[in-house]
Amino acid sequence: MKLDICYRTRFAFDAPARESQNEMRACPVTNERQQLLGYRITVEPSARTLSFTDYWGTRVDQFGVTDAHTALEVTAEASVETQDPLPMSSEVPLEALDAPGFRHGHNEYLIRTRHTGWDDAMAREGRRLIQAESTVVGAATSIHRYVANRLSYQPGATEIGEPITDIVAKGVGVCQDYAHLAVALCRSVGIPARYVSGYLFSSDDRTGSIDGDLVRVQTHAWFEAAIPGAGWLPLDPTNQLAVGRQHVKIGHGRDYDDVPPLRGVYSGPGRPEVDASVEIRRMDPSRQPSTLMRPSLLASVKAPRTRQQQQQQQQ
Amino acid sequence: MSTTGDAAKAGSSRYFDEAVDEHGHTRGHYRPVQEWFDRLSPEQVRALEEQRNESFRRQGITFTVYGGDEGTERTWPMDLFPRIIDAGEWAMLERGLIQRVTALNRFLDDIYAGEQAIIGDGIVPRWLITSCTGFEREAMNVAVPLGARCLVAGIDLVRDADGGYRVLEDNLRNPSGISYVIENRAAMTKLLPAAFADLAVRSVDHYGRSLLRALRSIAPPACGDEPTVAVLTPGIFNSAYFEHAFLARSMGVELVEGRDLVVDDHVVAMRTTRGLERVDVIYRRIDDAFLDPVVFNPHSTLGVPGLMAAARAGTVSIANSVGNGVGDDKAVYAYAPDMVRYYLGEEPIIPNADTYLLWEEDQRAEVLDRIDQLVVKPVAESGGYGIVIGPTATDAELAEARAKILADPRNWIAQEVVHLSRLPAWSGEGFAPRHIDLRPFVLSGEQVEVIPGGLTRVALREGSLIVNSSQGGGSKDTWVLGDSDQLDQAAPS
Repeated sequence: MKLDICYRTRFAFDAPARESQNEMRACPVTNERQQLLGYRITVEPSARTLSFTDYWGTRVDQFGVTDAHTALEVTAEASVETQDPLPMSSEVPLEALDAPGFRHGHNEYLIRTRHTGWDDAMAREGRRLIQAESTVVGAATSIHRYVANRLSYQPGATEIGEPITDIVAKGVGVCQDYAHLAVALCRSVGIPARYVSGYLFSSDDRTGSIDGDLVRVQTHAWFEAAIPGAGWLPLDPTNQLAVGRQHVKIGHGRDYDDVPPLRGVYSGPGRPEVDASVEIRRMDPSRQPSTLMRPSLLASVKAPRTRQQQQQQQQ
Repeated sequence: MSTTGDAAKAGSSRYFDEAVDEHGHTRGHYRPVQEWFDRLSPEQVRALEEQRNESFRRQGITFTVYGGDEGTERTWPMDLFPRIIDAGEWAMLERGLIQRVTALNRFLDDIYAGEQAIIGDGIVPRWLITSCTGFEREAMNVAVPLGARCLVAGIDLVRDADGGYRVLEDNLRNPSGISYVIENRAAMTKLLPAAFADLAVRSVDHYGRSLLRALRSIAPPACGDEPTVAVLTPGIFNSAYFEHAFLARSMGVELVEGRDLVVDDHVVAMRTTRGLERVDVIYRRIDDAFLDPVVFNPHSTLGVPGLMAAARAGTVSIANSVGNGVGDDKAVYAYAPDMVRYYLGEEPIIPNADTYLLWEEDQRAEVLDRIDQLVVKPVAESGGYGIVIGPTATDAELAEARAKILADPRNWIAQEVVHLSRLPAWSGEGFAPRHIDLRPFVLSGEQVEVIPGGLTRVALREGSLIVNSSQGGGSKDTWVLGDSDQLDQAAPS
């Protein structure tokens, strides 16, 4: 499927900001099931963009605005061709997870992080979920199904940074929460799992249904579980879907903090009103993308968040 | 005042006495100083101490202890009896330190900007690196000119019972203490000019020039012959602020806080009375976590938003390099001798203290078995925090250490107790042997250079092995004696 994506974030400050410095991670990665055809980032007021690939393999565009500004708009436009993933060997037994080489090779994806700090109760739940399973794919899928039913989709009910245990207690969340809960449960039973940031071509995160050629949505998140000897199995617990052509991956990390679509700081007395939107259009495969060019190294941009310790240990 | 009595009695003990040989005789290189101190009465020593305190107080040479009961600011505790290293011994130490820091620079550059060959070749396991709290993924592929990542290293050395030197830790992030080395020398020269008589003590006061030269050597290639250097401090409440100001002054460069710097189009500039001035090299004395709120702690007000992107763009160099903490992890430290062999093809000149890695089952079993004879340390702390010394720990402390090791073996190491060497120090009544270590300062730039001597720290409490100034230790002026052909560098007197 060929998709054109336009991801726009606009900050409107109620008093001029003196400075904004931001990093954007919005560029679809090229991998075995998707190919980036074009990418462009624009910032208003204009700013020079530094582009690089981070530790996790995600493209980052960094930009700063140091003149006083009351608005900042960042637009990322991407054109991408996607395919359904190949089926994954489902026969790998759970015991394969215990091989020291496998655990050491995936140690970063087995730890508790700020967003995936499971407690004893969650670990018990995890063990119960995989009790009847004998394969890693079966266990990961069982956790995926559980998460889909455990949380109710409710935008605005949670905030980024809320401990996963609180989210479980509330029983509500959005796609990031679903993904973090699945990641935490997988890790608690020894399945390496990573958080995935991306776009979903669907007007409804909950169903993932495709009902037209144009959708207006938000960025999306899901997760991937490591299957020994087979690779990463992507699953989308928000809508209980296997990840398919309608999923466009930006990148992955240990949790949200490794791959936030936009992060940064601003300084100034004002507070911003933030308006973010994603528009995805399905393109006729025979037609060339109309607006996009090749990934550019320099473009212009702008963005924020508040800049809110001095004793540090010296050696 | 006899400075040798107690030490002589203990001459055959498990401790190495720096100034006294196994027969109770003063070692040759200590003899002139020894004789000088022997002629002083206790009243004269006390009078000298008074002068010293007054002088330090007047100059504001202080040290801050966080959370201490005695208030936070204390006058710098310098013991009057100097530590002396003869020329031959120093030549060996200098070679060993240059070798070690060269290998550590190679290692850090390999991990952050190279092919991670040391992992690929199976010398250091990948999981060990990726589980270091000091491993900064944000520094990945940020190049550092000359690969001089440990621009200032403060390598802690101790001497074991047989007098052999060993590396106890590598401080590769923000080692502090060099200002005290220089101030100690200045104070000693003023207080005891006669003690230097006839000795060619090598100078330390060129440190500012050497540091500036090293910092300029890592400036971005495009910035010309006179790169602009600035010292970035967390501010006046930091325990080492005195040193930050001291270093800026001795280099003749600006001392700035984060709010004085701004990043515009990935170029760093400082606000001065003349307007914005571009900065090429930042000697930062701020921890990684606070350096840039865009990529690290978003609540940091100490750092400079956008600084890491500027470093990545190559318009500014940051010293010490971001992410050096991976080399300070005490489990990674255990691999430093292997790094020397791997990168340099040489045998390490100064060995490590004997170290046990606790994720290895057999080593862990041995450690748990004889934990009361060992020292247990958390891998990611510095300054002596969190250390459990087996022979002096209570049963409860040992049980707690055991439980912590079992819960998280990767985050602890154990070492044989190092019987720190001893040197006389003033106890208030007389001179008595006290345990000491040595922190030489090593600069990396076009080449690696060691400042003669370093900071000798002394545990002022009888029997104590904890020398950290953050834990109430003191210091001593450290004299490296010159060869006859180095007399031109001979300092004061």
